[in-house]
Amino acid sequence: MASLRHRALEVCCAVLLVGGAGPARADLVNFDLAGRIYTKYLYRNNDRQGLVSYGNPFWTDNISGDNGVGTEFELKVFGRVSKYVSAYARLQSRFGELWQDWWENGDLNPTGANTSGESLGMNHASYIKLRGTWVRLQIPTPSWWTHTLTWGSSDLGMFNPWTIGKVRYIDRDNGKGIFLNGIVKQGLVSYDLAMIAMPKLWVGPWWSTGIGDPMLSNPFWSRDWAYGARLTVAPDWGSFTLISTLTNDVEVDRTDPDAVGSAYATCQDDLGNPIVGCQKDHAVDTFSRFWNSVTTLEVQADPLSWLSLNGLVVLSMQGIDPKLTADGVQLNQGVSPVVFRSTYGDAFRSADDWAFRLRGEFQTDFGLGVKVEYFHIGQHVNAIFGARREADVLLTEGFIEGGQLPTLNLANEFIDFDEAFVESCIGWHGATVVPSYATSFSGGSLEVTGEGTVLTYNQNAQNRDVDRVYPDFLHSDGFTDTDLYDYANTTDRGRDPRSVFRRNQDRLTGIGVLQVRTTFDAYKGVELALKGKYLWDRDWRSHLTTQDDYLGQQLQVRARLAMGLADGLRGEVGVQYDHWWEKGRKGTLLTDEAGRRVLSVIGYNDDRTRKWKAFLGLTYEYEGLKLGYRLEFLDKYQWRRPVDENQHWLVVRSKATMEVAW
Amino acid sequence: MRWFRWVAFGWLACQAGVALAQSVSFKDPTGDDDGPGTYVYPTDAVYAPGSFDLTGFSVEVKGSDAVFTVEFRTRIGDPWDSKSWSPPGNGFSLQFVQVYIDQDHKSGSGFRDALPGINARFRPESAWEKVVLISPQGRQRLESEVATKAGPLKTGVVIPKSVRVQGRSLVATVPLKDLGGAPAGWGYGVLVQSNEGYPSAKDLLTRKVNEIAGAHRFGGGSDWDCDPHVIDLLVAPGKGGADEVKTQHEALKYQCDPANPEGSPLVEIPMIYP
Repeated sequence: MASLRHRALEVCCAVLLVGGAGPARADLVNFDLAGRIYTKYLYRNNDRQGLVSYGNPFWTDNISGDNGVGTEFELKVFGRVSKYVSAYARLQSRFGELWQDWWENGDLNPTGANTSGESLGMNHASYIKLRGTWVRLQIPTPSWWTHTLTWGSSDLGMFNPWTIGKVRYIDRDNGKGIFLNGIVKQGLVSYDLAMIAMPKLWVGPWWSTGIGDPMLSNPFWSRDWAYGARLTVAPDWGSFTLISTLTNDVEVDRTDPDAVGSAYATCQDDLGNPIVGCQKDHAVDTFSRFWNSVTTLEVQADPLSWLSLNGLVVLSMQGIDPKLTADGVQLNQGVSPVVFRSTYGDAFRSADDWAFRLRGEFQTDFGLGVKVEYFHIGQHVNAIFGARREADVLLTEGFIEGGQLPTLNLANEFIDFDEAFVESCIGWHGATVVPSYATSFSGGSLEVTGEGTVLTYNQNAQNRDVDRVYPDFLHSDGFTDTDLYDYANTTDRGRDPRSVFRRNQDRLTGIGVLQVRTTFDAYKGVELALKGKYLWDRDWRSHLTTQDDYLGQQLQVRARLAMGLADGLRGEVGVQYDHWWEKGRKGTLLTDEAGRRVLSVIGYNDDRTRKWKAFLGLTYEYEGLKLGYRLEFLDKYQWRRPVDENQHWLVVRSKATMEVAW
Repeated sequence: MRWFRWVAFGWLACQAGVALAQSVSFKDPTGDDDGPGTYVYPTDAVYAPGSFDLTGFSVEVKGSDAVFTVEFRTRIGDPWDSKSWSPPGNGFSLQFVQVYIDQDHKSGSGFRDALPGINARFRPESAWEKVVLISPQGRQRLESEVATKAGPLKTGVVIPKSVRVQGRSLVATVPLKDLGGAPAGWGYGVLVQSNEGYPSAKDLLTRKVNEIAGAHRFGGGSDWDCDPHVIDLLVAPGKGGADEVKTQHEALKYQCDPANPEGSPLVEIPMIYP
């Protein structure tokens, strides 16, 4: 037996040697693994438990909260199948399990009693999910004309924020489709063609492609696709980029007798009489419930080293079938990501479906630069599949610091208190000037940046139908407090960042910003940054009365000092002061049915808000270990009397992170 | 007082002369952002044509600082919003320029290996003493990467006190004391790479060049680390002539031994001397 085993071993070794004598390639290329562990601590002086400051917009979801610690793990696998074929997969654990959960998975509690803690369900489980895969074929073509075909995941970064936006980082592998990319002559000409499976939970009326729509008994999402095409021609002096996209949400014909839930399943009317022409054929007809098409043409010209010019034209249209989708404006208290009307019929008759942006940048050799921008964004422009955050289409800082996007489909959820919000810029019309100066001096450097913006709004109109057509997102008044945001607005945090429509509006805004940043070569580097911002916002609202007129003024001052403390260790401290004066901040104006006569004016009190914020931050990197910490103290007082009670917040909150990747 | 005016004039003239002597400026031809002549850009749309095409390089002494200016064929953008990184970046995303400096021009004096991820060496007569990293990454990230990956080379690494975008150019300001003095007959090796925020374990923030281009990997090279990961290179005489394209292609021409690719010799890069 011993000799037999020895013989078998020899055969095995021979097979291995022969089998392993193929072409040599680096292991890291053939099969490359990458891992990452991320842990977050979130603590605040309140009693909400969870791991995301602003989680699911449904505030009852207990994933979001301000106290807890949890960990996620991801594993990425890259494979090189052959010379022209590569593959990728990412496995990632679901975030949301607190360390205190131990073995519990979730809080599903069908009986009402839950003596086993939170063992049922999956919403607090760190289960591993397949988050994305792709297989990529580099089509063998001449090297000056490359083609890549991808099946599977993409971050959709080949288009732009106005059309199909690059999806946010946490969604980077969730978008799947078929993608063809072509590049000719190192990018002289390049193009993309894409067919993308639409996300069933956010692209369309009711933030879905049918789910939750009261009009549909059998939402049909598996044939919902978006289509995109991009062509770029890039000569030495600039580029032309044409992008056209279409999202198409398909639903079944509810009158088709073969459809599940059909109104005519038996081909008989309510009296039992046969319906003429109604016949089952085991085939179901489909119609488009909602479609959105956005086309952009962008021209970038860099004729001189000191001059850059950019022009953008956007055409946005949508079609909505009221037989296949219920009116979310009317039935969901004005909270809807779409205007409830088809807009394509107006596309060539008015500017409402168009956006224009012209931008110029001038830069001198001695550090002085100026950026100027004119923009007009029509009130019906809406990129339903556009960028939802982590992008910015305008130069201005706007009302909040996080960026402006041409969609009602913003995603200010699944973020923490230290992350910036984005706001919708639909309907904005104005101009911005941003001068800047940068220089260095002995022992340091200096950067000064300013901003001046004048804004008016293409939505300025009287007696707009916000009951059935235009979503006002319930809260259209007052500066938005992104420091203490709550989705249900239970603490009067101001205007929803998506609220761009108001029943009566006649509004004008001015924004001024000055920022100074200076660095010193002392020790490990010292940085001092100062910011001042003044915002003037006037809305005469209804022309029938002056009692509802609004004037908001916002002053913000911030100082921040950052410095290197040791190798890999950097710290910062800062303080920010905000003061808002708001005349006629919010109230109710009742008019007659025709909107021609005021019946009563309620509220429109003068409010004042004061906020102090002090913060401390530390980051440390050592041998691939990354640590981060932020501590904030926030004191807010809001004077609302006599209409409402005054409010006071004293908040202490912190966030710590630990990350390693290998 | 007339003597005072003459003294002042003489002093200013001397200062101007010193400044001119310390300032260098070179041109690089367009269209040579293909390494040894075969490299192609990654396929993702953010890598706009010309993003890595070096067209000019200059060093100028201003007070106690040296200002390095690197010019590219296209306007420099920030598609990954570097200001939002942690720690915050410098206002651009894609480019990563390494400026190697031979301060003594003595054969064998200094380092010959380029930083990890470049896969190249410098010729013996061009061994370097300092390398300036013009990167979109913040100082803290750079310090961490250098400390972890650069090994003995880290003693020569210089991180600018500021890096900013100026149209098509990157402008880096470096205190002269970090360089060990003012430029005087120094040689320069200017290598253009791409900033990789998620580099391989041994690469210092550099993007790989593979045989076939990927969404975020250059193509036209080798899957082995025998190819120089250099997309554009400043070569003599630095006047931007068409002959410099050929010189660059020859300088970066590599050989991978199929029997022993990991043991293949690295290319040896020349420097340019004013």
